[in-house]
Amino acid sequence: MDVDTVKERAEPRAFSPADDMPEEYRRAATRMIEFHANSEIMGAYLERPFIRQAPSIDRKLAFSAKVQDEIGHGQLLYRAAESLGVKTREEMLDDLANGKGKFLNCFHYPMDSWVETPMIAFFVDGAAMRRQATLRRTSWEPYAHAMDKVCFEEGFHVKHGESILATLMTGSKKEQEMTQEAFEKWWPRIIQFFGPTDDKSTHHDFSSDVGLKTKSNDELRSMFLREYIPKAERYGLEIPDEPRIRERDDGTYEVVEDDLDWDEFFQIAKNDYEPGLGQINGRKAAQDAVQWVRDTLEWENVPEGSAKPQAAD
Amino acid sequence: MVGEIESPEELDADERDALEALLQRLADDEYVLAERYTEWQVRAPTLESDLALSNNAQDELGHARLWYDVLEDLGYEEHELVYERDPDEWRHSTLVERPFAEGDWADAIVRHYLYDVAEELRLEALEESSYAKIADRVGKIQSEEGYHREHAENWMERLATGEGHERLQDAVDRLFPHALTLFEPVDEQTEETIVDAGFRTESLEDLAEEWVNTTVPFLDGLGLETPAVERVHFDEYEFEVLDEELPDKRGRDGSHTDAWNDLHDEFTRTYRELGRSEATKIMETAE
Repeated sequence: MDVDTVKERAEPRAFSPADDMPEEYRRAATRMIEFHANSEIMGAYLERPFIRQAPSIDRKLAFSAKVQDEIGHGQLLYRAAESLGVKTREEMLDDLANGKGKFLNCFHYPMDSWVETPMIAFFVDGAAMRRQATLRRTSWEPYAHAMDKVCFEEGFHVKHGESILATLMTGSKKEQEMTQEAFEKWWPRIIQFFGPTDDKSTHHDFSSDVGLKTKSNDELRSMFLREYIPKAERYGLEIPDEPRIRERDDGTYEVVEDDLDWDEFFQIAKNDYEPGLGQINGRKAAQDAVQWVRDTLEWENVPEGSAKPQAAD
Repeated sequence: MVGEIESPEELDADERDALEALLQRLADDEYVLAERYTEWQVRAPTLESDLALSNNAQDELGHARLWYDVLEDLGYEEHELVYERDPDEWRHSTLVERPFAEGDWADAIVRHYLYDVAEELRLEALEESSYAKIADRVGKIQSEEGYHREHAENWMERLATGEGHERLQDAVDRLFPHALTLFEPVDEQTEETIVDAGFRTESLEDLAEEWVNTTVPFLDGLGLETPAVERVHFDEYEFEVLDEELPDKRGRDGSHTDAWNDLHDEFTRTYRELGRSEATKIMETAE
């Protein structure tokens, strides 16, 4: 199939491994799904210390389950990405460990305190939900299919995050102040979650033409702000003065882009941001430390004469 | 009689203390083991093993919660037991508190195996507990634990060749003495009451004997030596844990290794930071 045919036929779940897709499509889809899978893993890595630091057994269980779900989503998404025949899961995981794999801006920042957890588990996951819901209509069928399960579980994560936020914002004055402070720190990053505006987005046009992306960055960001500004306010959070945000007459939102640190964003996008590198390397060290186990498994799983080891659990 | 005791009001003071000690042993073991298991989340060798060990952690946390819930009969609340007890009031075995060296998956697997064999035996000895709530909860826990032992044995077998063998042996050398503390009493008098009152139907000595006669031959079959192997004879079942085989800190009596203080400090951190220990939920308005 050539690119023009792909554009013509692009619609939700239009293409599957049974179709002969052009390389340009396969590469674009791989990049997008790999980014998504990597983000699941690095999000889980960021949140894992809070399994331990959760202030009740219920919260601990929920955090452990959430981190586990995210690893499960990663597994599912790498499979969907592999189905494009461009990269294997091992190559993608190696790239992630070696600082070549890209992932969401928010997961490059360190998280130090429990009061920060709803910034990820409510706001970032809520933002992710917005985007993921639209990806159930992406043109690569295995990706759309993975999104069905991911969205279902993600719904619970957002509720869990919302419940943590509600507890903190009805707790002591100290808890409320600490939470507001965390919100102010994370709010600009959360807005940047959707990436640069459409006119500055590198990959937007092609992805949208072939039906991989069904909504633009601007549309998604507007939808998020419309839903989450009132939610934040309902829990007693004050929206910071910057970045300045204005509702247009048509119900979309204008953000003063100069109020956001786009230099930092692009530094992060290149995996050059120091705290993010710390997380990438921390995870790499953990992965390297158990390389011996993977070696043992490979050795065990290679039947004589076979070229490629099978996946082991 | 099985489940004849419905409420602690039917018990005398010694029996209540014994029930409390038994429940704390059970709950604390599960809770602390789960804390250690969660360290492997996002750090396990493969995505699949990550998911499997997360399941274990959540199972154990769930079981801990079931036991802490029974302790509420004795007037405690879960948050007091988990977040407000001093470290030396915890009654778990030192096996579950030991830290992992980075990447030492063999340690996790050996610990998992040694613990889950003991857990299986211990639950059997609680099936006919005289305390109704204990007998009630055993079935639910057993339905999950059978899978745990199988999982641990499979991994033991997979790692027992090549580089894994040496790592398993190191872990056995390190952990076996701590595993023996699973069968140590809180104190002799309390232990006697636990059995006399029928809360547990087997003594710790009997459980230790069965455990050693299960684990030592299994390890031996994988070419793994244990300090006790000389004293386990396949034609006679008798086995007694010798004092010199035990570590200095035994957990059950409230003495713990240094690693426990660090762990305790970490998991109580948020609770302290948010001032939840002040038992307040003063509803101050934000405005």
